[in-house]
Amino acid sequence: MKVLSRFEIRRFLFFFARSVSQRKGRVVIASLSVMLAVAMVTALAGINSGIREKLGAELKAYGANIIVSPRNGDSIEAAALDKIRGIQHVEDASGQVLGKVFIGGYAIELIGLNIDRLKYSGWRFIGDRPAKRNEVLAGIDLRDALRLAPGKTLSLESNGGKADFIVSGFVEKGGPEDSSIIMSIEDAWELTGTNNVFSAILVRGEPGKLDGIARDIVRDVPAVAAKTLRQVASAEESLLSKMQLLMTLVTLIALFASTVSVASTVSANVFERKKEIGLMKALGGSRSQITLFYTTEAVIIGLSGGLSGFIAGYLSAQAISRGAFGSFIHLPQWMILLSLAMGLSIALTASHFPVRGAMRYDAAAILRGE
Amino acid sequence: MGSADEFIKLRCVSKEYATASALRGIDMVVEKGQWVSVVGPSGSGKSTLLNIMSGLDNPTSGQVVIDSTDITAMKEDEMARFRREKIGFVFQQSHLIPYLNAVENVMLAQYFHSIADEREAADSLERVGMGHRIDHKPSQLSGGEQQRICIARALINSPQILLADEPTGNLDRENTRKILELLNRLYSERQFTIILVTHDPFVAQWGRRTITMEDGKIIRDEYR
Ligand SMILES: Nc1ncnc2c1ncn2[C@@H]1O[C@H](COP(=O)(O)OP(=O)(O)OP(=O)(O)O)[C@@H](O)[C@H]1O
Ligand SMILES: [Mg+2]
Repeated sequence: MKVLSRFEIRRFLFFFARSVSQRKGRVVIASLSVMLAVAMVTALAGINSGIREKLGAELKAYGANIIVSPRNGDSIEAAALDKIRGIQHVEDASGQVLGKVFIGGYAIELIGLNIDRLKYSGWRFIGDRPAKRNEVLAGIDLRDALRLAPGKTLSLESNGGKADFIVSGFVEKGGPEDSSIIMSIEDAWELTGTNNVFSAILVRGEPGKLDGIARDIVRDVPAVAAKTLRQVASAEESLLSKMQLLMTLVTLIALFASTVSVASTVSANVFERKKEIGLMKALGGSRSQITLFYTTEAVIIGLSGGLSGFIAGYLSAQAISRGAFGSFIHLPQWMILLSLAMGLSIALTASHFPVRGAMRYDAAAILRGE
Repeated sequence: MGSADEFIKLRCVSKEYATASALRGIDMVVEKGQWVSVVGPSGSGKSTLLNIMSGLDNPTSGQVVIDSTDITAMKEDEMARFRREKIGFVFQQSHLIPYLNAVENVMLAQYFHSIADEREAADSLERVGMGHRIDHKPSQLSGGEQQRICIARALINSPQILLADEPTGNLDRENTRKILELLNRLYSERQFTIILVTHDPFVAQWGRRTITMEDGKIIRDEYR
């Protein structure tokens, strides 16, 4: 193809704009169908990555990579915590108490943890963290349900009795924490009437040494099981793989349907323009000069469909993920490039054959008016 | 440059369609700057002859040499370049692009050839007497006016050959005469070669030479 000068590009765009404005409707329909497919793929990828991020999220959110849980019964002796801290390559470990509290007769999840040690990664805070005894954090959903405000007093009831707590602030994490009450371990022990036991111990070990650490924990601490982040994640992942297969299938169908629909739009376009193409040939237009009009149209359809599809897909993934999994989606930035590329390749693939066919029309016969 | 007296040369050109033989062994030579009228009954192969000379159609056998170049051997893109540099077309139907106005239709031919120049395109419309209609769409113009625009478009890139297939076929006598006077004026100014297909003896007489076809063959070749 000959190189177009800037002046020629301007002229090309001039004729191109005239030609496209004649078939705005078709161009819009074609880019809508590209948009649908790209939106579908983006949404599925987004939901997928959202779910993936949730894999092992329980551990990640606390900056931990090994979870130690009781093998029988439902608690671990507090002494286990010191033993685990003494194991080689363990950087940090903290206990957690899980239980139930009642507010006005309603059961609510209680999480007791080491407030100072809490790694707040992935947590969003509103207000202050508890600074002293009898101060608690409430999940964001709980705040909304009970219309809580910082400083408000909450009356909590559990096996250990009944006590008043002050809400210091709120957390949002996109997980079960959002509807829980979070307090210090000491408060949790007192409220639930237990002492010196944990429901689980979260361990941060040196990356790369996790399997060894997990083995050492099981050896040194009686009656516990230790799972590394990878084990937790892969157990959750096997559940996901079936869903992903379905998603991939739906995606392929969407891509195929969209390509077919764009192809038929472009074919109709080209067919309507048979006379125009014959005339352009008679005026001495070369194959590249003539097909440039149609290819540019496809590029525009692809890019606009790709971009709008990305936006629509992102928004719906966000909505679905909020509703279904209670989590936010972080789409990688390259996903927008992938969407554009996907839109482009749908549109270019779809228009390739009709445009090639158009160049084969017998210009002589067309111009004779047959 | 080829010899001026063998500017266009057809050697034993035949065109077979599945259902008919459109041309049967045509031999002809056209000098540079000649105005040739091609007449003959419907179906005698006149349009086919023209389309083969322009490379829009390929002969089944034989050779077409224009300006010393064998166009039957050309590849598609060479053919397109040859067409935009050497040939201007006028058809019976005007074949203007409906969504472009008069001057833009002329500019499209410039665009394929080299660079679209609006001033030059408007001047060319002035010369065919359409200076006052440059921003009219084809649908807003009469048949005669449309043909004038087609003539301006065909000649905008200064082609050496003008191929016209029944250019006045849809026009009344008065408009036909005006178009031919216009063509004649441009022809005497620029001395291009004209090959003009027509049914109409009145139109045919404007050329100095008349070729009569019948059943895919040349049966008469007369000079006036
Ligand atoms: N694409 C085609 N397929 C089959 N036959 C064709 C085709 N084009 C032309 N023909 C046949 O070739 C013959 C010559 O056609 P052509 O159009 O050259 O005639 P013509 O002299 O221009 O006629 P008219 O005066 O009616 O325009 C006719 O018999 C026609 O039916
Ligand atoms: Mg004809």
